[in-house]
Amino acid sequence: MVQLVKLRKGDKRSKFCINDNMDILIEILKRLDSRSIAAAACVCHLWLSVARSNWLWENLCFRHVSPPPPPGVRPVVEALGGYRRLYTACLRPVLTRLSRRKRLRPGSGAGGDAEAARRVWRRHEVELSISLFCVDYYERLGGGGGGVRAGGASASSLMFLCEPVNV
Amino acid sequence: MKRERENGQSSSSPSMASAKGKKMWEEDNGGGMDELLAVLGYKVKASDMADVAQKLEQLEMVMDQEDGISLLSDSVHFNPSDLSGWVQSMLSELNAGQTQLSSTVVDDSSLLISAGGNNSSPCFPQPRIFEDNSEYDLSAIPGGAICKQKQSPVLLQNQNNKRIKTNRSDDPVLLPPEICPGSTAARPVVLVDSQETGVQLVHTLIACAEAVQQENLKLADALVKHIGLLAGAQAGAMRKVATYFAEALARRIYNFHLQDLNYSDVLQMHFYETCPYLKFAHFTANQAILEAFEGETRVHVVDFGLKQGMQWPALMQALALRPGGPPKFRLTGIGPPQEDNTDALQEVGWKLAQLAEAIGVEFEFRGFVVNSLADLNAEILDIRPREVEKVAVNSVFELHQLLARPGSIDKVLDSIKRMRPKIVTVVEQEANHNGSVFVDRFNEALHYYSTMFDSLEGSGLTQANSQDVAMSEVYLGRQICNVVACEGADRVERHETLSQWRARMGAAGFESAHLGSNAFKQASMLLALFGGGDGYRVEENDGCLMLGWHTRPLIATSAWQLAAGES
Repeated sequence: MVQLVKLRKGDKRSKFCINDNMDILIEILKRLDSRSIAAAACVCHLWLSVARSNWLWENLCFRHVSPPPPPGVRPVVEALGGYRRLYTACLRPVLTRLSRRKRLRPGSGAGGDAEAARRVWRRHEVELSISLFCVDYYERLGGGGGGVRAGGASASSLMFLCEPVNV
Repeated sequence: MKRERENGQSSSSPSMASAKGKKMWEEDNGGGMDELLAVLGYKVKASDMADVAQKLEQLEMVMDQEDGISLLSDSVHFNPSDLSGWVQSMLSELNAGQTQLSSTVVDDSSLLISAGGNNSSPCFPQPRIFEDNSEYDLSAIPGGAICKQKQSPVLLQNQNNKRIKTNRSDDPVLLPPEICPGSTAARPVVLVDSQETGVQLVHTLIACAEAVQQENLKLADALVKHIGLLAGAQAGAMRKVATYFAEALARRIYNFHLQDLNYSDVLQMHFYETCPYLKFAHFTANQAILEAFEGETRVHVVDFGLKQGMQWPALMQALALRPGGPPKFRLTGIGPPQEDNTDALQEVGWKLAQLAEAIGVEFEFRGFVVNSLADLNAEILDIRPREVEKVAVNSVFELHQLLARPGSIDKVLDSIKRMRPKIVTVVEQEANHNGSVFVDRFNEALHYYSTMFDSLEGSGLTQANSQDVAMSEVYLGRQICNVVACEGADRVERHETLSQWRARMGAAGFESAHLGSNAFKQASMLLALFGGGDGYRVEENDGCLMLGWHTRPLIATSAWQLAAGES
């Protein structure tokens, strides 16, 4: 209130600081795509803590899912590594690939990565992503178990989702 | 040089070499020297032209390989105008260095032999028993052996043509296509057409299999070497497939049966990662089990081949997220004894327990080590009564191995029945590699594994790790070896088609449980994620799901329940 009064008095120097208005910051970040959130995380420690928070990524994952996922999903995803990892390791590649496939078929519009985030996902795609996420977690458990793995215990069951490196 | 004419086999129908010869040099003037070549300084008898053409072609194929040139660099030639003479001498030098050549051709599969650190004798030991009898010189054989091949299916031809990407795919003639018309009569050099060598390769493979079946081991031996040469001229999937089959044939001929079974789990893991077949199997089976367990509070899954347990995390997660919460989940894993005496099953069980704890599913695990599934029965597995706990039995690529010993499969199906399962999920290769006639089996296997390798290659573009692809190929190569080279109780890769399994399960007292549309949707989505464009296809076949590459189904998932009346 005091700040607003000062502004109205014609004070040219803006005393509005976004860091004092966390709720606005949160509202803004909630609407961004993953790349922007990652960029925002580099600004300062405060922004980093907001950008890393689980519920922000949960929001990003299920923002456009209809119907919304059941409440039991959250503890499971958090146990398996969190929403940020779910998004970056599984959801985003899955959706990009599926939407790319759809684009290749005649009659579908053009779009980029952003479009993948914006389209409405269906239950099956979410379920599949979470399943793959779970397999990934299981592989990463490794460590003294699971038999002989040549070349270290790096989880690679999600390798097929990676983009090829053009050498 | 004139063996070709003397050999009675080729007189009945035009041999390939002379067909080529005729087409190239139709204007032959009989016994005298060829005029066109004489202009260039080469003295070749017109009647020898076909022979020389064949030899030049062989030479060129050898030169294409890495050490073809080095093998020949030490040779000295006199009288270079005698074209047929020095070509012959070069080739005979090559034949002397044949074993060296063969081992470089099969280097892809050297992993097979040395993976266990076991550097036993190379795949092509010096033929002390089988003399390289000049009667079976290669220039004579292909014609006769191929022309006997009346049964060669047109399908094979078309399949090859498709694979080789020829634009002559509608040519139904059994003889291989002519040399591409680009080479005019003025140029005396024979162009090696890889399409043609591809077809030759397949024909030679089949001819070799026939020779083996007829116990004509000298002929088979000569053909196997020829396959090595031809395979070298190919590229990609075809080369690898041909190499593996050639090695398997060689093992059969020389009775060299040391099978390296180490690291089979590792190889299967790489196979799991590179292509969707195993993932498809797991996801579709899990969906069937999930649907069968709807509403149950205590469930028990018996897995006939636990391996690394990659199937179960997804099921456990789906159970955790189902409306109403997860049931109490019990898993019994079965596996073979390990060479190094580690308890692999317990390690896997422990990992799964960790996962279960993380996602909040009550979990119990038990492992059983058995040599064969036939050693199990319902009592050992501690099956609890139906009212208390519902049972699912899962078998991924395990049942076909039981067909190697008579009576095993019936015993196992019977013990499954005694477990009173709610659902039995079976995933098997969709192919008939268990026929009694060797040549039929060989043909089937050739089709099947060619398609498999094609799919690996087709999706290879999206693989970040080509080592994975190579390991998957070794995994498949071992199967090829088993199907072709082994017999009796050793031959465990006795794949059968879905219709054969249907008959078997039906006779044993099971009825088909249809896999729902959820499974189909999930499978389609999973495949859409894999590379290979639209190569992978999911098909529904009367309640069962089949995954294939283009038009050829490769694996089939089916679900079964006890038939009404089986109490």
